[in-house]
Amino acid sequence: MNNIYNPITTDILQQLKDIVGPVNVLTDEERIENYSHDETSKEEYAHMPEVVLTPTNAEQIASIMKIASKHTIPVTPRGAGSGLSGGAIPLFGGIVLSVEKMNKILEIDEANLTVTAEAGIVTNELNEHLKSRGLFFAGYPMSLETCFLGGNIAENAGGGKAVKYGVTGRYILGMEVVTPQGEIVNLGGKITKDVSGYDLKQLYIGSEGTLGLITKATIKLLGKPNVASDLLVPFATAQEAIAVVPLILKQGIVPTSIEFMDRSSTEMACTYLNETLPLDGVGAMLLIELDGTDEATIEREMILVGDLCTEHGAMEVYIAEDATARERIWSVRRNIAEAIKVYSPIQSLEDVVVPIGSIPLVLPFLSELSKKYGVRIPCYGHAGDGNLHATAIKDPEMSMEKWKEIEPALLSELYAFIVGELHGKISGEHGIGLKRKSFLKAVTPDGEYELFKSLKKAFDPQNIMNPGKILV
Amino acid sequence: MHIIVLVKQVPETSDVQMDKETGTMIRSSSSSIINPLDLYALEAALTIKDVKGARVSVITMGPAGAIKVLKEAIAMGCDDAVHLTDRAFAGSDTWATSYILAQAIKKLGLPDLILCGERATDGDTAQVGPAIASWLSLPAVTYTSKIEQIEINSIIAERLIEEGYQKVKVALPALMTVVKEIGIVRLPTLKGKKKAMASSIPQWNAHDIEADPSFIGLKGSPTRVVKIETPKVSRNCTLVHVEDEASMSVAMDSLFAFLNDRDFLQKGGKKHA
Repeated sequence: MNNIYNPITTDILQQLKDIVGPVNVLTDEERIENYSHDETSKEEYAHMPEVVLTPTNAEQIASIMKIASKHTIPVTPRGAGSGLSGGAIPLFGGIVLSVEKMNKILEIDEANLTVTAEAGIVTNELNEHLKSRGLFFAGYPMSLETCFLGGNIAENAGGGKAVKYGVTGRYILGMEVVTPQGEIVNLGGKITKDVSGYDLKQLYIGSEGTLGLITKATIKLLGKPNVASDLLVPFATAQEAIAVVPLILKQGIVPTSIEFMDRSSTEMACTYLNETLPLDGVGAMLLIELDGTDEATIEREMILVGDLCTEHGAMEVYIAEDATARERIWSVRRNIAEAIKVYSPIQSLEDVVVPIGSIPLVLPFLSELSKKYGVRIPCYGHAGDGNLHATAIKDPEMSMEKWKEIEPALLSELYAFIVGELHGKISGEHGIGLKRKSFLKAVTPDGEYELFKSLKKAFDPQNIMNPGKILV
Repeated sequence: MHIIVLVKQVPETSDVQMDKETGTMIRSSSSSIINPLDLYALEAALTIKDVKGARVSVITMGPAGAIKVLKEAIAMGCDDAVHLTDRAFAGSDTWATSYILAQAIKKLGLPDLILCGERATDGDTAQVGPAIASWLSLPAVTYTSKIEQIEINSIIAERLIEEGYQKVKVALPALMTVVKEIGIVRLPTLKGKKKAMASSIPQWNAHDIEADPSFIGLKGSPTRVVKIETPKVSRNCTLVHVEDEASMSVAMDSLFAFLNDRDFLQKGGKKHA
């Protein structure tokens, strides 16, 4: 696939300025440096763009794409830059197209239970606006206070409520996309069924900006549950905690979340937040959320789930029923990734996903890897989805050379086990991006990989749309 | 040892909506929680219970829904609770409220220690705790940050004061209001919740606590909220536009002049070249 690109000449830059206006064109190094990386480690993955554009509507984006296509210039779409696989990094320089100024809610349609918003709106803001109408968007990525809707769709973000509500893709009814050729296309709508032709909308969901740029979306809303409670359940060992997860799901109750946090991730988050949770003798914790419309039902379910945990070795079952207490616990969970990053910015935050029944087999393998490579691997994540964020961290003492030798070897071994032995996948919600593309090739059968390549070629024959991502 | 903790239910602050016309809070819009600062009083009491052994009772005054906060206190580890509820209590100010709570404490029997939060996050007065001590003629220790030692008839505690800490020894029975430093609030447990669900909490009205009707409710309150105003913030924003490199120097000069005119710059600083 082509990856020879042309530089942005003064003449092209002027054309871009004419499209978006000079204030929406950034070229000075200090400011565009912010657009050279996401939440993956900067030392390993950052690349500088030549220019950053902050357009304000889809028409501008279409005109930009036409210029990029004409001159074969790479374009990297960007949301909030909170991605964890290097998806928003301009690997080949060129244009970074940030949707940060497209952050309006366009319509809340209560009759059809939908909200239509631009791609640059912060995910959490949607729910702030919907709250008073008794509605909500069920997407709950852990970065919801900063991440953008467009990024959530491009990565098909999962998060903390997927056990009950599923991932972002389930809620996207329609979207507006700008193609690599600069056409504005509307896919889906406010309909809940649609077999009229190929399902291009689903194809764009999770395509990591490699097939086009999502400019707005229509989202299916749900009635907001008015009761929610959390159980925080410590176990002496991580293995005991994780082994309970499939048992909870077998009870016929569908919790909103079943999150797992091992001791070291919990400790790091507590230190980071200056929080204290009871951790004496604790090896790992489960955070289980239940929500619904009837308090008595939720209480009954809490007891059922709590008792099951106690029968299977839980040391205690703590409960949080009001928003303040619930936020206290969830904030620990949400801040683990950031806390580990503060401890060591050089790390590999993994996102493996396995069939739920196999989840107890992941932890012993991680301990083996940790021993074999002499690397700490704190682990946490969405256990109820079989999705764990094992994070191999470079000890601040370890040399960068040594880390660069260890990291790929450790990951290859992990992925081979996850895919080969457990029939899982190497990423559940963070995406392949830059970071995992060579590993994706290694674990994907040739026939399937060829289809990936043909698909990309059909949409973007010039390979200008977020090149160097997903595929090698 | 018997400890009574006084708690209040307050609106969940993350969820409050204000009436734009009147500037007051729309109470129905938000859910109620235990006043966050009262959680520290509960924690202090339960820590004493853990270490020394004690019976911890909890009292609240409020409408029917207030029973929820009492159940939560039991789920955290408190032993029993009393709910003071009566239409006649409605509209009580801090003076009347402290009288009602003091009457309830008398009926329950004067304990060794009464613990309160520093203040409630809605009213923000911090008056009710010390006023109860006054009604009951007990010594009051406010802003308690640490309970150092408990003896049979006294407590040695540390108070957080403006200049630092003050160590006090106080005779028991006494009333203390506590600050956040006193401990890390424990989470309620499922075991505790089951106990709370099974326990029946007595409800006492004005008659039960032998309250003088002229001391309670709006009628019995010497203070009135006459008006609530939201302070108006008026700022005039001055935008300095920079179009290109050339206008940068002019813009810097105007910014410098702006700050200098208002005395915001350290004297002796040099003008931007």
